[in-house]
Amino acid sequence: MTAQAPAAALAGRSNPAGVGRGFPVWLGLAPFGLVLLVLFAVPVLSLLKLAFGESGFSLAQFERMAAVPVYRSVLLTTLGIAGLVTALAVIASYPLAYVMATVGPRARGLLMLLVLLPFWTSALVRTTAWIILLQGNGVVNTMLMGAGLTASPIAFVYNLSGVLIGMTHVLMPFVVLPLYAAFRNLELSTVQAAESLGAGPLTVFRRIILPLTAPGVVAGAMIVFMNAIGFYLTPALMGGPGQAMIAQMIASNINTELNWPFAAALATVLLVATVTMLVLFQRFFGLERLIDGGGGKVGQPFTVTSRGRSTGGWLAIVAAGLIGAFLIAPIVIVFPMSLGSSPFLAFPPESYSLVWYENFFSTSKWVTALTRSLQIAALVVTISVVLGTLAALGVSRMRPRWRNMVETIFILPMIVPVIILAVGLYYLLAPTGLVGSIWGVTLGHVVLATPYVFITVRAALKSFDDNLELAALGLGASWATMFRRVMLPAIAPGIAAGAIFAFITSFDDVIIALFLTNIRSRTLPKLMYEGVAHEIDPTIIAASCLIILVTVVVLGANLLVAKRKTS
Amino acid sequence: MKKLIVAATAMVLLAPGIASAKEMTFASWGGAYQDAIRKAWIQPFSKESGIKVEEDTGPETAKIKAMVETKSVTWDVVTAGGGGLMRGVRQGLFEKITPDMVNTDHVIPGARNDYGVASEIFSTLIGFSTKAFPAAGPQPRNFADFWDIAKFPGKRTLPDKPETVVEAALLADGVPMAEVYKTLSTEAGLKRALDKIRTLKPQVAVWWASGAQPVQALGSGEVVMALGWNGRFQAGIESKLPIAMAWEQQIPQVGFFMIPKGAPNKAEAVAFLNYIAKPENNARLSEFVAYGPTSEKALAAIPAARMENLPSTSERLKNALFLDIEWWADNGAKVTEAYTAMLKE
Repeated sequence: MTAQAPAAALAGRSNPAGVGRGFPVWLGLAPFGLVLLVLFAVPVLSLLKLAFGESGFSLAQFERMAAVPVYRSVLLTTLGIAGLVTALAVIASYPLAYVMATVGPRARGLLMLLVLLPFWTSALVRTTAWIILLQGNGVVNTMLMGAGLTASPIAFVYNLSGVLIGMTHVLMPFVVLPLYAAFRNLELSTVQAAESLGAGPLTVFRRIILPLTAPGVVAGAMIVFMNAIGFYLTPALMGGPGQAMIAQMIASNINTELNWPFAAALATVLLVATVTMLVLFQRFFGLERLIDGGGGKVGQPFTVTSRGRSTGGWLAIVAAGLIGAFLIAPIVIVFPMSLGSSPFLAFPPESYSLVWYENFFSTSKWVTALTRSLQIAALVVTISVVLGTLAALGVSRMRPRWRNMVETIFILPMIVPVIILAVGLYYLLAPTGLVGSIWGVTLGHVVLATPYVFITVRAALKSFDDNLELAALGLGASWATMFRRVMLPAIAPGIAAGAIFAFITSFDDVIIALFLTNIRSRTLPKLMYEGVAHEIDPTIIAASCLIILVTVVVLGANLLVAKRKTS
Repeated sequence: MKKLIVAATAMVLLAPGIASAKEMTFASWGGAYQDAIRKAWIQPFSKESGIKVEEDTGPETAKIKAMVETKSVTWDVVTAGGGGLMRGVRQGLFEKITPDMVNTDHVIPGARNDYGVASEIFSTLIGFSTKAFPAAGPQPRNFADFWDIAKFPGKRTLPDKPETVVEAALLADGVPMAEVYKTLSTEAGLKRALDKIRTLKPQVAVWWASGAQPVQALGSGEVVMALGWNGRFQAGIESKLPIAMAWEQQIPQVGFFMIPKGAPNKAEAVAFLNYIAKPENNARLSEFVAYGPTSEKALAAIPAARMENLPSTSERLKNALFLDIEWWADNGAKVTEAYTAMLKE
């Protein structure tokens, strides 16, 4: 893409008004492109090339993979589970996002909290809580058997259902947020028109809501799918041997077996399979076409119609209630668990004490690590929001021909197993002295986090009405003024969702931190992960509870302030 | 005390010269294990030698490899299990430790290695629920009992990795200790082990991935018998969970301390390894975690009450099949593939 091209490529449509004043494509693509080249392509490729022989070209690693059926079946299991989790997350998100978009601001704030809280607990804490809820003599089975609904306990965990429950729970927010943004962009009059023409709730959903929310759903589903492929803690702890996932095998070949060529081969196959699926998905569903149907909302936002909720609406509220309960269940039991005195977690605890909270505050390492994590996450959010938004602007102004390819390249960091990036970055950064400093881990997180911002902002831009931009420019606004006054407010929800995702990506990461930090720069997840092969230190549960409490207080205060302002 | 005075004097004498206050960096897995190492070894060693020990965490083998290959080694002593040690040795990541560097003649033969100093011994054995099998009735004692569903009904938990499981399966199937690895090295022998595990599969509720899981599962009643680590079972027992261990048969493993190649403070690292290898020092770790010393000479220094919970007593070592880390380094990949395939069936 040359510097002259952007004006003509503007929005991919004939667009004479923008000539000379548009946003240059290269300015959007170059910063993140450069970051990807240096901090992603170079380190990852230097590791992946091991798959093709360490001295001289060889396909031996791939031959081994093909010869042993286990690897094929694990790859298929991985893609299957990722697909199932994506489907479940999308289905479960619709009622919740619908209700969030149609209730008052306070209820909405509360629901938002429900959706975000699972993000705020460490994966270890979450899975432990689920196991305690769902195991044979766990809380749920005790309740079901007490109510006489089942005679013998139902096997919820250590099988496929355990994996689906655990993964859908934590990945769902990735769909809910963009979907909620899409619902907010729906225009009430469209729905009213359909209803007045006699469309029932099902028809309204299928013909109006589904197509108009597609950009949000597709963005969320892509994030969930690619995230799911890289999971291994949850499947290892909540699944059975039938649910072994490929990321686990890649990590163990890197870290335990030290068989990097084979790990590289596994990762290469995973990468090719995932990218192929993405491309097929895009072709098959004709995403671009689907998405371009959206946009153009100036009217009243989507809300409950004057006739009140339809039957479908009420059903959605019931479903949303159940889903909300599902989201909050493990978090609710975490609090009593954190007050137990035994290092072996039980619910309800046999005796209560504050020992784990004392532990958190009395040993400086916990507070230090938490502060460090927040510092790093703040840096990562700032950098990745700028890079991701620029990249999304650039891509949305590209010619359609190259757009798909660039789009795929920009989300590659989500597909490549993190451990490959982490090891590659170590080799790259060790000579620079950045390993062990807070900047090494920050750079790694920026690579991981920017694609989230890119995807959500890109989705927001897809529903942005280009005519507004043209109108502003036509009235003499400079591009910068137009962006600040017209475009930015419209895509702000997308940027906010991306920022949250970026924050979580950084705040939750263990693997990059494992390789790029030392004891002075270690993050909270790294500290939580220490010694975990042997024991779970309940201090991590206290830490999670504290983080949840702080979140609830901050968001709660925010809600109160917002309410006072409006009244 | 005398040593202390000598050390203190040495420090005073050395101090003004330079900031060459000697130091080294030690990296281990954090948590209770590193806390124990700090109290048992690092703090007294620093006091005695005047060498300041910086601590770090997360000595992943992949990270050691990356450090060695980029010549940016910041760790002087790292810790690992036998698997990590052997794979590192094969890739040339560790310094060879010769007898004139650290004398390990007194170390239990199954725990010696040219590239690592044995730090402690822990064991894989049967832990069972005393609610399901109270002392009044029959209690499981050996691996054959673990497979005996008629005599000891109820769900089990096994590791999701083959190490120690295939050995236990063959021992349960009647293979004598001395023959286990010879048998496993044949196709038929490996198949025999996997078939034995296959028969138990319907009874296995949890294939565990982290050492805390078997204890949690025993405590909650999810399973009645577990193949797991003695240190974890012991921690459960001390937290008043209804658990007991069957000591009649066990598969001990050794924890090692190594020096990565290119470590910046090799002399200090060697001094530290010498310190932990000394029987009277080596015994001290057992005060803080239920791991056994690596030398029978160290046993005398351990109180009898603690001895009951440790794997490396003279009595217990007689029925102990040490995990053969060389064998696993050679066969691990193949056996893991076969084991995973068996589990996925």
